[in-house]
Amino acid sequence: MNRKGEAMTPRREKSRRPDGMTLFFMAISLVAAALLYRQGGLGAIGIGLEKSMVLLISVSPVVVLALLLAGYAQTLIPRRWVETRLGQSSGRGGTALACLAGALMPGGPFAAFPVVLVLRQSGAALGTCVAFLTAWSVLGLHRMIIWEIPWLGWRFALLRWLISLPLPWLAAWAMYHLDARINSKDAA
Amino acid sequence: MGAALLALAIMLGALAALAHRRDPALHGQALGIARDQLRLIALRLPLALLAASMLGELLPRESLVDLLGPQSGWQGIALASAFGALLPGGPMVSFPFVILLKQAGMGFAPLVALMTAWSVLAVHRVLSFELPLMGTRFVSLRILASLALPPIAGALAVLVDPAAPGG
Repeated sequence: MNRKGEAMTPRREKSRRPDGMTLFFMAISLVAAALLYRQGGLGAIGIGLEKSMVLLISVSPVVVLALLLAGYAQTLIPRRWVETRLGQSSGRGGTALACLAGALMPGGPFAAFPVVLVLRQSGAALGTCVAFLTAWSVLGLHRMIIWEIPWLGWRFALLRWLISLPLPWLAAWAMYHLDARINSKDAA
Repeated sequence: MGAALLALAIMLGALAALAHRRDPALHGQALGIARDQLRLIALRLPLALLAASMLGELLPRESLVDLLGPQSGWQGIALASAFGALLPGGPMVSFPFVILLKQAGMGFAPLVALMTAWSVLAVHRVLSFELPLMGTRFVSLRILASLALPPIAGALAVLVDPAAPGG
């Protein structure tokens, strides 16, 4: 977890400089605004500003609620539990469990990759690891709730999720065969 | 949006009740995690939205619809898969882009292909998390095993809904 903010609470305004990503977005906005001005004057910039304000106002309450939800999900689904359950399982049941755990796994890559690492080190099959990672990235409910549903709508999110259901299985299957092929070549 | 808010509030209530039953101290932990995340995006999110909206005004709609619209077919899916794999950054960066492309008339199947490619192949995430943690062999095998997923998802999207759903 990021605790940097805590360490610099006193005189935050002075010690906190904008990070790279913030500067990147600022630069894009400024360049785009300049181009818009050349195209359609201040009016064009106004339309862009208005659209971003509308988006911000409609998305903010959802983002705040979703962040709280993610906070609770992360405290309630401990990483250890996922690791021990998945490390012991194998085969088809293992893939199914990995898909389920991946979809439920809250948090970004800083939360998911340590789990995969521990799984791999505790002897879980390559296919299980890949199923978990793929499910986390395409079926992750966490990302779907925070970003996809508020931004793209229920219908879009649900359809995309259903379409993506077979993907972790496909990736695990492909991984299994690739690995077997490479191993047999190494042995020959 | 109202339905999304309501559903989120209900889920939040349920999880908070569950946490309260297990250990009231969990409230503090959960709030701490949420506050850290909020602090992280408090400035970036509005700026990302501003950048995406400004770019959206600049985007030439006709050529985008030709390349990635609902009628763009396999080429649209292939192009969207490649673009999604190269799109850097987390959801905060990519979602404003996705909205922008959707509003500009991108088709459902290319959008699904793009989001799948971005989720599964994300160059940025591979370089900053996966390679250092998992090693070259795992990463190259996983990427090989996942290369076909974005076009497969795009093809499934064509089957499921040929007339792109409006959000």
